[in-house]
This record gives sequence, structure tokens and C-alpha cells, in this order.
Amino acid sequence: MIALLRTPATAVWMVLIVATAATWTLGTSHGFGNHTLASAVILLIAFIKVRLVGLYFMELRDAPALLRGLFEAYCAIACTVVIGVFLLA
Amino acid sequence: MNAVSITTESQPPVTVTKKIPGEAGVWIFILGDMTVFTVFFVVYLVERGKNRQVFELSQQTLDKHFGAVNTVFLLISSLLVVLAVRAMRITARHVAQRAIVGAFLCGIAFVVVKVFEYHERIAAHETPSTNGFYLLYFVLTGLHLFHLVIGLAVLIILRSMAGRPALSTNQWAFFEGAACFWHMVDLLWLVLFPLIFLVR
Amino acid sequence: MANKVELDSGLFKAAVWSGIALIVAMVIAQGLLMHFIPPPSPALSAEELAQRFIDRRDEIRLGCLIQCIFWSFWATWGIAITVFIRKMERSYPILTYSSIALVGGGYVFFILIPMTWAVIAFRPETLDPSIIQIMNDWVWFDFLFTWPPFALWMVVIGLAIIKDHNVPTLYPRWVAYLNFWCAILIFPAGLIAFFHTGLFAYNGVGAFWIPFAIFFGWMIVMSVTTFQTINRQKEKLTAETVLATA
Repeated sequence: MIALLRTPATAVWMVLIVATAATWTLGTSHGFGNHTLASAVILLIAFIKVRLVGLYFMELRDAPALLRGLFEAYCAIACTVVIGVFLLA
Repeated sequence: MNAVSITTESQPPVTVTKKIPGEAGVWIFILGDMTVFTVFFVVYLVERGKNRQVFELSQQTLDKHFGAVNTVFLLISSLLVVLAVRAMRITARHVAQRAIVGAFLCGIAFVVVKVFEYHERIAAHETPSTNGFYLLYFVLTGLHLFHLVIGLAVLIILRSMAGRPALSTNQWAFFEGAACFWHMVDLLWLVLFPLIFLVR
Repeated sequence: MANKVELDSGLFKAAVWSGIALIVAMVIAQGLLMHFIPPPSPALSAEELAQRFIDRRDEIRLGCLIQCIFWSFWATWGIAITVFIRKMERSYPILTYSSIALVGGGYVFFILIPMTWAVIAFRPETLDPSIIQIMNDWVWFDFLFTWPPFALWMVVIGLAIIKDHNVPTLYPRWVAYLNFWCAILIFPAGLIAFFHTGLFAYNGVGAFWIPFAIFFGWMIVMSVTTFQTINRQKEKLTAETVLATA
């Protein structure tokens, strides 16, 4: 079973856990008065995590260019739009 | 399918084939669902923009710990689903079944936390009709929960499929597609949690 | 001589076209004539709502007569798909019978819509406005809140396609996933019970426009793919007959 875990996906999983912890720290810190920058970073990290899940868990890394392209486009567009609306709304 | 061959002097060619995880049809569903949720994310941020104070104050009543714990549950469940698919590929059926059960239990844990979380809100008279924040909080997390419950049903199907001696091509397509659906449920929460609980 | 399997593609296609006619009639009668697309806001006062029925009394009566006719085609359209579900299943047709039950229930919900509006428009000036209000609310709930059997039918269709034993499958497999997705997407229609205004009121974007667009968009996609399936089946049967008699 350990052999089954010897795959890039497991390393990615650890990155995701660390990223979650980083997001938590950023999100619960009370130091900065203006939380806007931290929130934008939190959202950016979220979409990086989304991309990692898609590429490594959903195995889109080995998918045909069209499908992977669609997913990457989604990540890029969604990330931009969400952070954009957050900053501008 | 595109195949790329790499040949070295003494070795036979190594082919790297590109493969659609599951099948094409499932991606209409998954990408479509992700798009719908993204529209809701934008709606949330637009409403927040119109009611900054209400959203900030209401957000503070949520317990972030619940959300964080749920994120960990889903990440663990996704890793277990990855494990299950890999196990199925080398026909380690019992490992696959146990991994799926593990993922299922993580999903149940998520539901339990969520029910508790909702209960706390409702007991404090914070319901979807209270204000715009709670409306979107309940609708967004509720829609996600709905998908998660469907995912749990799908995991039950996967567990029984994992018990079969062999899977046909179509069954494999469904198995992988269903695994991707579960990862989507995880993926959506990875955005939902920070968006609703942490972003301010 | 081998048994000849016949497919009356003319009749079959007419059944699918009846569904298209249903959509066109709805846009014309319910939308243009009766002004009930989109729904009047649930936040309107009873008096304002009653006035609408009094002002457009004649248009509503005529539109309802038309709609009672065209909603009936839900049955013929739905059964065309059901026939294919029968062909996708093997001997114990649980999905087929579920499909028949769900389709059959469907047109009842649809036809009660114009029937109720026609009853309101029968003598609206004599009615207490709050009676008109509750009957109108009832109609919108009948239209939207009853989404579950329709979602369930979409799931039945999707299951039938996923489990289709034919080679090649009667419908392309992506249609199954589209059905599963649409089944989930029309669920917000169930939120109308909780809101009088906003996104999830029965005239709101979330609870009306999205499920409405998804549902009738789905009907169009299913109609197109069913036409294609009829054509493929017709060709296949013609080829088999040629082989058998050669």
C-alpha cells in the first residue's frame, strides 16, 4: 500500500495541507488593520490549490491538450475574476 | 489520443499516451458545475461589495475551525480516492475498497460537522432570511453539501464496483469519472472555505 | 424470412417535434400573450396582482386555452424518449416504467397551470384579491416547486444511457452526464418557498430564470439528440433489412 502512495499526488497532497495551514494563518491573523492584501493572497492560494487538485488528483496532467487547456483556462479566468471582483466590488 | 514516442539507442520506445480521465461526457458535468459555482462565488462577492458591514459582522459569527477541519477531512478523502484508483489499476481490490470506505467516512465526518455548524447558526437565529450574507452562506454551503451527499452515494457505488473481478471499459470510465467528481467536491470547498470564512 | 423490426420514424419524429411546439407555444401564450414570463413578483400586493388579472382577462383566457393544448405534448415528447429507454434496457424494464410514471405525472402539473389561471380569469372582478393571490402563488409553486419528479426523470434517462447495452449506444454517453448535471441545476426552484424577494423568489434569477433556462434548454438538446438517435436507428434497421433479404 505504501508503494501506491509513492506518487507525485502524495507530495502534492502535503503541499495542499501546508497551503491550508498558510491560508489559516493569513486568514485568522489580526495584525494588519487592512486585511485586503491578505485576502487577495488567500484567494490566489485557493486557486493554486484548485489547479493542483485538477492536475494531480483528477489526473488532468496527462489529459489531451484540449481538456487540460479548458481546465487551466478555468483556473486562470476564475482566479482573475474572483480576485478582481473582490478588489473592485 | 495522441502518442509521443521516445526512443533511446538500446531501449524499446517509451510511449506517453494522453488519456481523458473518465470519459469526455463527465467533463461537461464537472467543468459545467465548476462554472456554476464560480458564478455563485462572484455573486457572493458582488453582494458583499454592496453590504460590506453586514457581511463583515455576520462573517465573524461563523466558527472558522469548523471550516478548516472540514477542509482537512476532504483533502484526506481525496487522497484516499486517488489511492483507490491506483489500487484498482493494479487490481488490489481490497485496498481500493478500504480506501473508498475511508473516503466515505471522511465525507460523513464533513456532514456531521456541517450539521453542527448549521445548528449553531439557526439556534442563534441566523437563518437564510436574516440577511444577504446568511442567505448566500446557506445556499452556497448547502449546494456544496448537496453535491457532497451525491458524492457519498457515488462512493457507495464505487465500493461495490471495486468488488468486481474485472471492469469493462465503460465501467472504468465511470469509475474514474466518479473519482473526479469527488475531487471536484473537494476542489469547490478549497475555494468556498476561504471565500466565505476568511476573506474580508 | 427473418422478423422485420419496424420503426415509424415519421411518427417518432412528430412526437419529438411536439415537444418543440410545446416550448414555442409557451413563449407565445404564457410570455407574449399573458405576460407571465417572467412571473409577477411575489412581493406585489394582492390588489396589484388582482388588477393584472382583471386588465389582461381576455388575453389570459385565450393563452390558457392554447396552453392546455400544448402542455399535453409533454406526454408525447416524454414517451418518445421513453421508447428509447426501453431499447436501452434489458428484460425487466424498471427504468422504462419509472420513466412512464414520471412523464405521465409531468403533464398533469403543467396543465394545471393554465387551468388555474383560466379559473382566476373567469370572474376576477368578483373575487377577493387575496384569493387571486394565493391561487397565483399556487400556480408558480406548481411550475417551480415541483422540480423533483423532473430531476428524477433526468436521472433515470442518464442511468439508462450509462447502462445502455447496445453497441454503439443509442445516445452518446455525454448526454447521460448532461442529464445528471441538469437534474442538479434545477434544484434552486425549490427555494421559492423561503423568499418573497431577491434571487430565490419565484421571479428571481436563481429560482426562476436559471431553472427555466436549464429545463427548456435541456428539452431542446434532448430533442436534437433524439432526432439523431431516430435517424441512426432507422439507418441501422434499414441496413439490417437489406442484409436479411439479400
